[in-house]
Amino acid sequence: LIHQFSLCDKGQDMAVKFFGQFMVEHGLVSSEDLLKAIYLQDKNNLKLGEMAVSMGLITPVDIQRAHNSQMSRDMKLGDLLVEMGLLTPVLLNDVITHQKKTHLYIGEALVQIGALTGDELQQHLDAFKADQAKYESNGIELPLRTNHDAIWEMTADLTFKMVTRVLDLKFRPGKCTHLSSVIPDNFMLAAMDLSGDVSARYLISVSEGLQKSIAKAILHEESVENEPVEVLEDTVMEFINVVCGNVAAKASQVNVAIDINPPVVIHPPTDGLPIPSGHTALSFPIHIEDGDTMELILLIKNS
Amino acid sequence: MKKVLVVDDSLSVARQLEKIISESGDFTCVGHAKNGAEAIKMNHTEDPDIICMDMNMPGMDGLTALRTLSVMDKEVKVVMVTSLGGVGDKFTEALKLGAKNVISKPFDADTVLRILREL
Repeated sequence: LIHQFSLCDKGQDMAVKFFGQFMVEHGLVSSEDLLKAIYLQDKNNLKLGEMAVSMGLITPVDIQRAHNSQMSRDMKLGDLLVEMGLLTPVLLNDVITHQKKTHLYIGEALVQIGALTGDELQQHLDAFKADQAKYESNGIELPLRTNHDAIWEMTADLTFKMVTRVLDLKFRPGKCTHLSSVIPDNFMLAAMDLSGDVSARYLISVSEGLQKSIAKAILHEESVENEPVEVLEDTVMEFINVVCGNVAAKASQVNVAIDINPPVVIHPPTDGLPIPSGHTALSFPIHIEDGDTMELILLIKNS
Repeated sequence: MKKVLVVDDSLSVARQLEKIISESGDFTCVGHAKNGAEAIKMNHTEDPDIICMDMNMPGMDGLTALRTLSVMDKEVKVVMVTSLGGVGDKFTEALKLGAKNVISKPFDADTVLRILREL
């Protein structure tokens, strides 16, 4: 299976987006109108505790007690309210159902403030869905269970898509394997730490030839022979910055918060880079059409 | 011609943006800052009309710099250019802090110039 999108896919809308951003970036609504719609959402879309209070089931003091308890316990507020005897499971379910029923989506909020008509909303939603369909996951299997499997599968899938979309390289994804002791030596690695709801390091390992291919694509240059080393290395770091930013965007759509940190370059020793204890290392080979191989490595901290 | 300051720790992104801006005919690039602190200094010395700024940078990040710029200089228009544009919270925070728009990476020249011309 060779991954290659048509060239008409390149150019505009190459990133994972949410609807409000799509509308502002395309000039379909102003940033001022979007902010008004967001404020309307903030007012309308009550958090679970606020909703339970508005339904007369608990008091603000109960929420404060639950929040205090949350500081020392890794539990969702709803589960904690049940455990503390402040809500029954049935009432918790009622609150969640009511939250969903009254949720105001950003598109609906834009209509309510008069920035769009209902027909325009539908038309723009269709265009947005068509644009973002290219980021639907193709399904990747991991060789073992890790924390947040679905996030790492999505990360690998999005990396493959960006190799096509940003680097314009044809490739065949290899089978994901578990690395038990070292990350093999290569010309260079670019790494980015991911934190927040996950704790992991994202690495891309490339040969000298692939570093130049990436530099040509990122700089939009025919030749990079005269480019200084720091610029060539920077292009690989920028590639992983783009991938990881889009991973964070995609993860936020399923309520997983990922913070990214500035990328770094690593020149591994000839006997490879040891895998730190307490981590699981997964390798995703990316076999490029010309015979070279790039490798995506995820160093995932064990819980 | 409107003056644009580029703020990004990435040499390659800064180079791309500088090229797009200087070849447009409508804008001139007055410099490149590598983090938020440099951006605040260069906003003072170069007096740009527009700042194109990354979010994720070592030292002072883009949102922190935006918070300062929005208090110090009510005239300059800031557009965030970031791989985190699709993260709803980051996007919303940028707009609330006064950014005029948020461009996602990877970007293309047409989108960048259209957004800069709309300011």
